[in-house]
Amino acid sequence: MDFVLDYITVNTFWTILFMVHALLAVALLGALTHQAAAVLARPRPRAGTAGAAGGFVTRFRSVSGPAYATAVCVLWVLAFIVGGWIYAKYRIYVRIPIEQEGFYKTLGAFELKEHLTTIGLGLLPFYWYLWKNARNAAYDSARKWLTVVLAGICWYAFLAGHIVNNVRGFGL
Amino acid sequence: MSPPAQTAAPVASRFGTFALVFGIAFAILYVVCDMAALPMFTYHPGTDRIDLGYAPARRDEGPAMYWYGWIANSALGAGILGGLAALLPEKIRRKFPMALCWVVPVALLPVLFYSLKFYWRW
Repeated sequence: MDFVLDYITVNTFWTILFMVHALLAVALLGALTHQAAAVLARPRPRAGTAGAAGGFVTRFRSVSGPAYATAVCVLWVLAFIVGGWIYAKYRIYVRIPIEQEGFYKTLGAFELKEHLTTIGLGLLPFYWYLWKNARNAAYDSARKWLTVVLAGICWYAFLAGHIVNNVRGFGL
Repeated sequence: MSPPAQTAAPVASRFGTFALVFGIAFAILYVVCDMAALPMFTYHPGTDRIDLGYAPARRDEGPAMYWYGWIANSALGAGILGGLAALLPEKIRRKFPMALCWVVPVALLPVLFYSLKFYWRW
């Protein structure tokens, strides 16, 4: 990757990588939230209304869950790989200054994020399997709650990452 | 008219069993590796040095990172366990409770929280 640094500064390179990580996280968050809303409160079709009819909330939870499964897996893996790449730089250039400032709870929240997203990564193959067999009613409960757990992890990870970014900031 | 939903018994396929056992074992092994300091390797980001197993931070060379090593160990262990589970006869594979896929991570949450007690200073 060193050839990239002939064109941009080291700071710019890591900033771009961080932004890619953040954008992947936003996409993942949206997909998982839609899917979790769909499994938690699937709207019942009413006589005389089209499938997509209804207000914002109804439309929000009316998505087809199976259509999101592969995208969620791909986005989780990509966000994880990019995050894991940035993590080495975080360890030196972000974590150490935050330690020096004594913001231990912020660091703890970020460590928890690292643990939860890793555990979520390991659960993706079964999550994918459950959604690829979405017509099997015997899988409904496991599929529903695993999706909700992954959505919860994703929301926590997003917020914890955002807080650390707010604490440290760019280019300091 | 849409086809009827399948209601046949669950994790009968070998991949399904592998995926279920892999996910559960990966989560448990990861927490064990974290709490018992059992990385497959240690990465020193300041010098790009990699040591096998656990290695403390080296003087004047910055911090040591164990996270990558925990993941490698957990993935290896979970892969072996998942593979073995997939080889079991179908009669046994059908008995694996699928609810563990979400119960285990939820149950591990307080353990992880406790493992980070160093950071919860008020």
